[in-house]
Amino acid sequence: MDISTTVFAVSCPGTPVTGTRELQKERQLNQFLAEVERRALRIAEIGVRDRDEALDLVQDAMIKLVRNYSDRNQDEWAPLFYRILQNGVRDWHRRQAVRNRVLVWFGRKASDDNAYDAISAAPDPAGRAPDEELENSEAMRRLETAVHALPTRQREAFMLRTFEGLDVAGTAVAMGCSQGTVKTHYSRAVHSLRATLEDHRPDDYGPGGFKR
Amino acid sequence: MNEADDRFDEKLKATFDASVEELDAATLSRLNRGRHAALAELQRPRDQWSRWMPATGVAAAVVVAVMVLQSPLAVKEFPEPATVTDIEILLGEDSIEMLEDLEFYSWIDTVDMEGDVG
Repeated sequence: MDISTTVFAVSCPGTPVTGTRELQKERQLNQFLAEVERRALRIAEIGVRDRDEALDLVQDAMIKLVRNYSDRNQDEWAPLFYRILQNGVRDWHRRQAVRNRVLVWFGRKASDDNAYDAISAAPDPAGRAPDEELENSEAMRRLETAVHALPTRQREAFMLRTFEGLDVAGTAVAMGCSQGTVKTHYSRAVHSLRATLEDHRPDDYGPGGFKR
Repeated sequence: MNEADDRFDEKLKATFDASVEELDAATLSRLNRGRHAALAELQRPRDQWSRWMPATGVAAAVVVAVMVLQSPLAVKEFPEPATVTDIEILLGEDSIEMLEDLEFYSWIDTVDMEGDVG
């Protein structure tokens, strides 16, 4: 028993078992969320192409998971978390579509894709050489563009299977569809990406993941 | 998926993982804060009322429905349904004349009954 558990048991002598369980649950949830949060952020960011919005979506998904599904089996957390996140991304797109229609109605430009991105412009925190950094960022930019261009369901299946590493069953839960549908979407997504990134076949990849 | 697809898939994942590793400190800090905000939900006492609200709503609706159906006022609100005989009388053209002399036929009936007794 660690210090925090001991303190809780002393302060609440009537409920030491429950307190220990709650602490253990909190620890497990913390570990799970810490493991998935960064990949989840990048997946959401590819979906909405905006880091601030992606951060909000990931936080919402974390809160909903803790609030509604913390009692579920730990193995179920990943599919449930990504299901919540994917629903959030879809809702975000619906809201954006409505917002853009309203803005167009009032004669304003719907969005500005050429806005300055301070995050992209920031220096590499890992301290890589500018050439290598450029190669990596260019590779990711092309990949992001290609993934973003996929149909929604193919994009979801691909990102959950490849980027997050969920198995077919977990991806099916996260997407709310059958495993057969996941396989179909995933296969189509991979072939579509291969066709799009044809110049960057695996044999040609350099250290940064793309053609030298 | 063949071997080439698998290798292609691995390379895409490697590119993605590299981008995850490149997340800046400010972003990681925001993720950390978001995670702790989510975990704080565990400490919040659950709203028992909201948990039972759907069941309570259904129960209340059932009680109201039973009260309305059982109420004497509610029964009196609805007229007695017309019987088949009444409808036949109303629809049958031959019966109209009889209805006009209903009192006469009623008297005849009474006289016949008295005659039978006598």
